[in-house]
Amino acid sequence: MTMEYSLYHFRNDLHGAWAIAKKDLVIYYLKPAIYMSGLLFPLFMLLAFAVGKSAPIATLIPGLIAITSLFSASSIEPVAIPIERRTKTFDRLLSAPISLFALVLGESVSGLLFSGSICLALFIGGAVLLRTAAFSLPVLLLAIALSCFTFAAMGAVFSAYPTENVGEVMSLLNLVRLPLIFISGVFVPLETMPPWGMAVARISPLTYGNDLVRYGFEGTTHFGIAVDVVLLLVFTAIFLALGNFLYRKFNE
Amino acid sequence: MSAIVVTGLTKKFGTLTAVNNVSFTVPEGEIFGYLGPNGAGKTTTIRILTGITAPTAGTAAILGHDIVEETLTARSHMGIVPETSNIYDDLTAWQNLMFTAELYRVGKAEREKRAQELLETFQLLDRKDDKVHGFSKGMKRRLTLAMGLVNDPRLLFLDEPTSGLDVQSNLIIKDVIRDLNDRGVTVFLTTHNIEEANTLCHRVAIINRGTIAAIDAPERLKQAIQSVQSVELAFDHMGTEVLEMLHRIPNVNEVRKEGDRVRLYTPDPGSVLEAAMASLKVQGIRPLSVNTLGPSLEDVFVKLTGLDRGHNRDPKGK
Ligand SMILES: Nc1ncnc2c1ncn2[C@@H]1O[C@H](COP(=O)(O)OP(=O)(O)OP(=O)(O)O)[C@@H](O)[C@H]1O
Ligand SMILES: [Mg+2]
Repeated sequence: MTMEYSLYHFRNDLHGAWAIAKKDLVIYYLKPAIYMSGLLFPLFMLLAFAVGKSAPIATLIPGLIAITSLFSASSIEPVAIPIERRTKTFDRLLSAPISLFALVLGESVSGLLFSGSICLALFIGGAVLLRTAAFSLPVLLLAIALSCFTFAAMGAVFSAYPTENVGEVMSLLNLVRLPLIFISGVFVPLETMPPWGMAVARISPLTYGNDLVRYGFEGTTHFGIAVDVVLLLVFTAIFLALGNFLYRKFNE
Repeated sequence: MSAIVVTGLTKKFGTLTAVNNVSFTVPEGEIFGYLGPNGAGKTTTIRILTGITAPTAGTAAILGHDIVEETLTARSHMGIVPETSNIYDDLTAWQNLMFTAELYRVGKAEREKRAQELLETFQLLDRKDDKVHGFSKGMKRRLTLAMGLVNDPRLLFLDEPTSGLDVQSNLIIKDVIRDLNDRGVTVFLTTHNIEEANTLCHRVAIINRGTIAAIDAPERLKQAIQSVQSVELAFDHMGTEVLEMLHRIPNVNEVRKEGDRVRLYTPDPGSVLEAAMASLKVQGIRPLSVNTLGPSLEDVFVKLTGLDRGHNRDPKGK
């Protein structure tokens, strides 16, 4: 695979990645486990928070969208890949004339499409039922797309862990993504955080996703649109590269 | 050009050597059988040749493309049917075929045409829009084969294609393998079914514990062990005394009971037949049928792999 890679193979990879993404959507859209962890969990989390704070529900929509992008996008591959290992369909992907990068990319794209549509549904639901309006629809859509892609790529990293057991990957993943909710300015605004809290917040991709979503709704941002966008892209690149590396490593 | 050239291929899992310094060449257009008992290293060899696992040592080239250096190009020429039917249960037969074809970048018109043909060949056309979920084992196997052929490969890898299937699926699959071969497709198939290797393959490699014991045409492998011939007798009342008596005939190496027949292994079937008939006559037994047999591929296999047949062995030893 080292010497031969060319534009031709790159185009095959994009083609293969798209085929994988479509296949994932057809199969995994209907798996309840993904909805459980992707949508219900963030919803309950926020409702619990709202009850504690007695904040109006409408103000929760931006945070809900940010957390949902994390939870639903990162859930597809950690559910899909262990199942595919168990049913051996994973070997079909491994033995196709596409590189591991295409596999990681395809999975990430399916995570993006899946969770992007859930986040959009939340936005539309909020607009219809609670009359929440976007300050800037283009920025909001960009925020949703970027966060979903970043977290889908993060899911790909975890799915590289060589197991046939969905629960194993999920618990590893939760070890990381649960703390992310609390350090990323979703519940506690960044402005009110102590300096050490801010320092921790800076290493979480959810911080920038949440900040950008907030701009989409309210027109205010802590870091600025450009910083948020660039950092989300950097996180995505890191996750894709790490996923690619780990798949290669665990595959001998 | 050779379809497969393997040189000094070795695969270790920790301290276990699953494939040990294996070398062979498969010319284009051949049906090459890879015959060995469980755990011999058949699947491991296929996984290396298809670029799923990297070899510990040695090289393999597929149609001139090194499998490690030019993995993607090598793979684009092959069809793969793994040991376990790896199909998406939640997709229909049609969707499974379309997805596989897309991975190989077969154009839309082409893949639809091929899928239609393949479903027909494998007698699955009436089930094309059903989810694979409810398919029988044989139907899944046939669909896996169809998926392995959807990219019109020049080289087909089959890992135990017919193992555990009923007669109908078995026949369909064997017919397809022969048809493909008539059209010039090279086939590499693993099996532990000796009869299958015998009837289907141009050449057979016998592998045991990761090492190749012999490679040749089935007929020539049999010739190589002409010493193992046998006399086969069928008669009623096959008591132990009678078997004991047959054991005692000079030049009989082994007596094996196979259903209602008994086989006497010997390098000299003529004299053994004469002696056996004489002893049976003394007992008042009339054989129902008598055959002399040349060595079977199974005999070759047993001899080369040192397998124990496990039952009715000659108590005197060899
Ligand atoms: N991933 C692995 N890790 C460790 N050992 C392995 C692995 N894959 C195979 N082996 C070992 O390598 C040896 C050869 O296995 P392989 O699957 O190639 O045999 P096989 O000839 O295909 O057998 P079968 O007829 O049962 O399919 C076995 O001892 C097996 O336990
Ligand atoms: Mg095997």
